Amino acid sequence: MSPAWSARRRRPVRGGTSTVRRIGVVLIVLWSVIPIYWALKMSFQTEGDARAIPAQFFPIRPTLQNYARLLGSGSDVSGGIRQSTINIVIECALATIITILLATIAAYAFSRLHFKGKNIFFYAVLATMAFPPYTTLIPLYRIMSGFGLVNTYTGIVLVYVSGFLPLATWIMHNYFQSLPDGIEEAGLVDGARRLQVLWHLLLPLARPGIISTALITFLFAWGQFLFPLVLSSDLSTQPLTVVIAALQGRHDVPSTLMSAAGVLAIIIPALIALIFNRYIVNGLLTGSTR
Amino acid sequence: MWGNGERSVKRGWRAASAALMAGLLVAAAGCSGGGQPSGGSTEVSGATITVALGAPPPAAALKDFTAQTGIKVKWVNLDWDSLQTKISAAATAKTYFADATDVDWSRVGQLGKLGWFYPMDSYLDTKSMAADMPQLASFTTGGHVVGIPYDASFMVTTVNTKLLKQAGVSGTPKTIDEYTADLQKVKSSGTVKYPLNIPFSAAEGLSTYWYETTGAFGGTVLDKQQKPAFTSPDSAGYKAAQWMVNALKTGLVPPGNINVADSQGQQTLMAKGQVASTFSDYSGNVGTLYNIKSSSSVVGDTQYIPTPGANGPAGNLSNPDGIGIPKQAKYPKAAAEFIKWFTSAQKQADFTGLNGTDKVYSGFTIPSRLSVVQQMTAKGNLDGGEELQAMLKTAQPVFPGGAPSWYPKFSNSVYTNLHAAATGSITVDAAMKAIADTANQAASGS
Repeated sequence: MSPAWSARRRRPVRGGTSTVRRIGVVLIVLWSVIPIYWALKMSFQTEGDARAIPAQFFPIRPTLQNYARLLGSGSDVSGGIRQSTINIVIECALATIITILLATIAAYAFSRLHFKGKNIFFYAVLATMAFPPYTTLIPLYRIMSGFGLVNTYTGIVLVYVSGFLPLATWIMHNYFQSLPDGIEEAGLVDGARRLQVLWHLLLPLARPGIISTALITFLFAWGQFLFPLVLSSDLSTQPLTVVIAALQGRHDVPSTLMSAAGVLAIIIPALIALIFNRYIVNGLLTGSTR
Repeated sequence: MWGNGERSVKRGWRAASAALMAGLLVAAAGCSGGGQPSGGSTEVSGATITVALGAPPPAAALKDFTAQTGIKVKWVNLDWDSLQTKISAAATAKTYFADATDVDWSRVGQLGKLGWFYPMDSYLDTKSMAADMPQLASFTTGGHVVGIPYDASFMVTTVNTKLLKQAGVSGTPKTIDEYTADLQKVKSSGTVKYPLNIPFSAAEGLSTYWYETTGAFGGTVLDKQQKPAFTSPDSAGYKAAQWMVNALKTGLVPPGNINVADSQGQQTLMAKGQVASTFSDYSGNVGTLYNIKSSSSVVGDTQYIPTPGANGPAGNLSNPDGIGIPKQAKYPKAAAEFIKWFTSAQKQADFTGLNGTDKVYSGFTIPSRLSVVQQMTAKGNLDGGEELQAMLKTAQPVFPGGAPSWYPKFSNSVYTNLHAAATGSITVDAAMKAIADTANQAASGS
């Protein structure tokens, strides 16, 4: 780090700017947190209290009845919640593992190998991210149906992989690009083969990039609704997102029950985001400061 | 069936370019031939059918059905909106997803034109059912019935009698003018600040509210040829829109309703005694929402009234759900057996609790069969049964020429423009013109 840059970083922020920044941060945090707080609050209320006028900002008579209905044995919805939680974990985990495997190999090829049309292929990968996902829904549905993959983990996972692979490849590509060429060249000079260089030298160094790509992929997969809705037919494959929506009737929206289900659904992604926050930010910013 | 499509997909895999996979899949699907309905199996006993609707009926009822017919039922539980998405996706992709599923009244024209559902008259004697199922007309397109109604949803006017009495309003309003005057009295007396609930959020509930209000003003939004009938200021549709927007502007409707959807207004305003009336309410709400202690503070205070009309009580418009058989069904005949059983008078009586609480199908409110509604009313099992029975008998389809195939586009234009008129960003006149333009363009296929 040059002295000039170091000095620039240490320069104190002027009072006015600092206050504006703090207000901005507070507003952004409130904007993000209030809906989650509201869902959490409603999850501990009865329907009557949740719809009380004036609105209750805290659960005045807190109840666990919604959680009991969602998690208690023998309730009408607990079986569906349990099975769909298992489904979503399996689908997201498989999609993440396969995406990471393919993205790592593809990113390595795009960043390190020289072959004809490399840039065309690479930009074609990036271009697929510009397609609105919905445009591929019907074709993918037909294909999965034709192969007998509707209502299977394989079908849902394959669609997730096809959707997330471009972004994962791009992030991993940026990560490989940030690693010095010298390491790889040294390995090759010492007689290692390409795959050995990748496995023993680059992958250990790229571990933070792999972790961040895996986390981003997992979180994206967790939030999916439309594709699994169309590609799953029953509880054997329906993820939690689809089953939560099914809690509502046409003329009846059990808002407190759905809030409680929403709170349960965000526990895993929230924990991941909180614990691995550093990796996620790192993955998204890799390559941006070179 | 897959022809070129399958080959294209295989080429995609051989290319081993994961990045291009999605693009190839799209191309493959584009090339593949459209799957025609196979006609399905005629197997009945021994077949396992998939039924995609809301929450399932009691397991014992389905077991009984299997014992009677030999048909096993696999139930897929989806919320209404998700189900419509799934039906559209499956129908567009010409792919099997269920043997029997929901047919919404508003999509009958679209479904009929695109041939997504089997004509039910091929499987059931729909003519003999018509007398006991007044809403069967809402499922008729091109001379064929594409769905059998199982839920007698229609639009009704509900009032909070306690609030009206507090404001000194006596008697039931018979005309729109009387109704409006009563609401103004409630407001001026200070009983409630905003007496009328109109859900002005840009959503389907606003469209249906306008249809019902148009009916009350003595007309329909589309004529028999499905042409717009609301562009003239003298037309019922125009007057209805003007009345709704004026109600907001003159303070009869809470200003916040600009972002309130139908069910939200019913649950948070009507059920909480914040407003005195909803002109176009859901026909089951008195029994399933307003008289339920855990979610309402107006238990025993609300009732249905005959819809106030231009010159006297007007009719009610139907918005029921039916059940039909998609063209891709594997076991259409077995599905028809299920529908016959599911919509039979005996089963509807069971589901509504007439034959014991253990047979109740939760979420099943008003049966589509008039005879069962009459039984429920006679036994005191239906709040407001007398009124509902009379309304159901005469409930009319929203569109006299049947729901148009371009209904989703039309409804979108209706709620978007009425919402804009309510916010004041356009005039009612401009809203009517914009909606009419959408209808004319959609009808001409442009």
